[in-house]
Amino acid sequence: MKRSQLTLPKYALIDLSTGEVSNYPISEELFRNYIGGKALGSRLLFDLMPAGVDPLSKENVMIVNTGPMNGTGAPSSSRFNVSFKNVMTNGIASSNCGGQFGVMLKAAGFDGIILKGGAQSPSYIEILDGEISLKSAEHLWGLDAEKVQEEFDPHWGKLVIGPAGENGVHYAAAVSGERVAGRCGAGAVLGVKNIKALVTFGTNRATICDKEGFDKYNKKFINFLRTHPMTGNSLPRYGSAGLLNNANASHALPTKNFSRGQYEHADKISGEALADTVLTRNSGCVSCPIRCARRVMVDGKEVKGPEYETVGLFGANIENYDLEWIDTINYVADIYGMDAISLGGTIAFAMELQEKGMADFGLHFGSKEGVLEAIHDIAYGIGAAKELGLGTKLLSEKYGGKDFAIHAKGLELASYEPRRSVGMGLGYATSSRGGCHLNGGYAALIETVGVVAVDTQTPKGKAELTVFFQNMIEATSASGFCLFTMMAVIPGFLSNLGPAHPITRFVSKFLITARPVLGVMWNMMPGILPFNWMYLVPYAQSLKLATGLDITAGSFLQAGERAFNTDRLFNLREGLTAADDTLCDRLTKTPQDPGKPDTVVPLDKMLPRYYRVRGWDKNGVPTPEKLKKLGITVSI
Amino acid sequence: MAYYISEDCIGCTLCAKNCPVQAIEGTVKQRHVINPKRCVECGVCGNVCNKSAVLNSKGEVAQKIPKAEWKKPVIDTTLCSACAICVTACGRDSLAISLPQFKGDIHVFAYMANEKQCVGCGLCESYCPLHAITMKVGEGT
Repeated sequence: MKRSQLTLPKYALIDLSTGEVSNYPISEELFRNYIGGKALGSRLLFDLMPAGVDPLSKENVMIVNTGPMNGTGAPSSSRFNVSFKNVMTNGIASSNCGGQFGVMLKAAGFDGIILKGGAQSPSYIEILDGEISLKSAEHLWGLDAEKVQEEFDPHWGKLVIGPAGENGVHYAAAVSGERVAGRCGAGAVLGVKNIKALVTFGTNRATICDKEGFDKYNKKFINFLRTHPMTGNSLPRYGSAGLLNNANASHALPTKNFSRGQYEHADKISGEALADTVLTRNSGCVSCPIRCARRVMVDGKEVKGPEYETVGLFGANIENYDLEWIDTINYVADIYGMDAISLGGTIAFAMELQEKGMADFGLHFGSKEGVLEAIHDIAYGIGAAKELGLGTKLLSEKYGGKDFAIHAKGLELASYEPRRSVGMGLGYATSSRGGCHLNGGYAALIETVGVVAVDTQTPKGKAELTVFFQNMIEATSASGFCLFTMMAVIPGFLSNLGPAHPITRFVSKFLITARPVLGVMWNMMPGILPFNWMYLVPYAQSLKLATGLDITAGSFLQAGERAFNTDRLFNLREGLTAADDTLCDRLTKTPQDPGKPDTVVPLDKMLPRYYRVRGWDKNGVPTPEKLKKLGITVSI
Repeated sequence: MAYYISEDCIGCTLCAKNCPVQAIEGTVKQRHVINPKRCVECGVCGNVCNKSAVLNSKGEVAQKIPKAEWKKPVIDTTLCSACAICVTACGRDSLAISLPQFKGDIHVFAYMANEKQCVGCGLCESYCPLHAITMKVGEGT
């Protein structure tokens, strides 16, 4: 492939304080190294923002960008990314979202938009056919996320905030259609910048380097996903909530603010129960053949149904089994513009404070009373509930209860109990954006909720597997693919055999036994995997054919490693250290099952190994040799 | 090169109403203008113009085509993965994803939900990654 065939991504920088729009060139080196999406976003934040900026100030820079695969027609490739300084952790933040916005941003002629400074008055950004303009949003301010989207052409891509973003709720989300860039407080940052919405439309086509080869590979890739038992059957049938029964069976379903791992009424809130009762049909993001999204009825209106996280955190974690009520909460959190994970985690924490008599927010485990009202008050910043908008970490600093404050670095954990999925625990603790299951490597998929079931309690091999998945996830997100396609990387025949079959058990054991190989392979990247194979890393070949970048499975994974290290450097620059790679005492010191002392997250055993595999020193700082090998030029 | 509207335009608004990407602007009885950045060269404006006022990208006058002879998408439902790229591409809201036939039915596909709105622009066909859509005359699904 000739170098000249590369189409470099087109970024625009908007200075919101003046309304001035300029072209922001991306060099070929940056494109080759960081691909796009969250990886490129993190790298650009280094150049655009000095250290120590208050995330809830106009100086916080926000990057809304896509990956090269957006709009190409590749399967599940509509994901776009929002990068900024994290409101919850003060470190790096990136929030990934599906739907139509990313595809339309690209169709409007841009791969990314950089938002600098803040507007003087409520505004929205219109991106049409390569033209960007800043317009007054006085008439839109105060509207909920659903109503504000109805104000624009239904064919346009939209990214908006609801009242929570306007009122500075720390975990406010940015909403796009019915999908949400939820985590880390993207909505709060947009709110501080006085930006109510970004809307975009255009008819540009994505440039594809080898059209014929791409088309052919694409068909194979789509059919691969459609015929895989996870992406072709389980996810479309039960959605992400289909994971709940497995999590419950392996004691990994957080119950009563992560004090237990099993909920006696789990069968009433599972994906299967959802499909049998309230589900009207499945749905999906544009370009996705998986269609995991749910549609349900709320107050006589068909709306988006809940994901696994919402069902887990507003179900078992607060001891509630009313599925229709969870549907309502899910809908309400979306239109107010709040992250359902952080919201659910914070409410469960408030309930435990209440139970222990440490605070009074009028919220009780096992009771729905007052929850909907509290969510309303959080979003609008009214009364005592306003404080809940700060999130678990800040609440625990004020009211106490740090030992049961379920967060990592300040971001609430997702709905996987790490004491019965210790690899996930390591992932939560080391994830660059805080308590995130995906950025954390999603070891729960191979430990508890997936088809292979590696030993959930052993610390052995968890560092190696976590590093592998974290890097893979980084690169997949950077390309613009949805992470659910990764479920197809676990061979389909294992799904059909089930976790108890001797072959599946052998594979599970093998993943742990193979740890020395996994541990050293990052030093041999990319040469160790100088090929592309759909069943190992399906994205690399797709990316290669679409962009003309010379990408192999090895260089793809290395790009992920580079991105993860860049995130780490950002966090170090902002003052986060190895001491922040931790979880609360409940998870690391109190066994989930008092009869089994190993049901804790043995971070002290896993972390040193993790740092070694990563090529970091014992303080969790990437070594100069590692950075040189990865070609990372930023320094802190 | 985008399509272009000549001085022969009488401002009947037919082209603007039918353009699948809202690329045409103009008021009644005023000459209309095609936004070249938006135009996808589908030719629909030429197909509906009574005054032969539309020039195609080569500068030739586009001929009006009777509605009955417009092409319509035919969807091979066995190939379709219901990825909804066509549904998003369709600016006329003609296409939709089918509803499940029974509880638990996950084999859904794109179908022509609103044939009256279809202008035969062919955007759905050109976007479909599985080539499950073919434009044919008089065979709309």
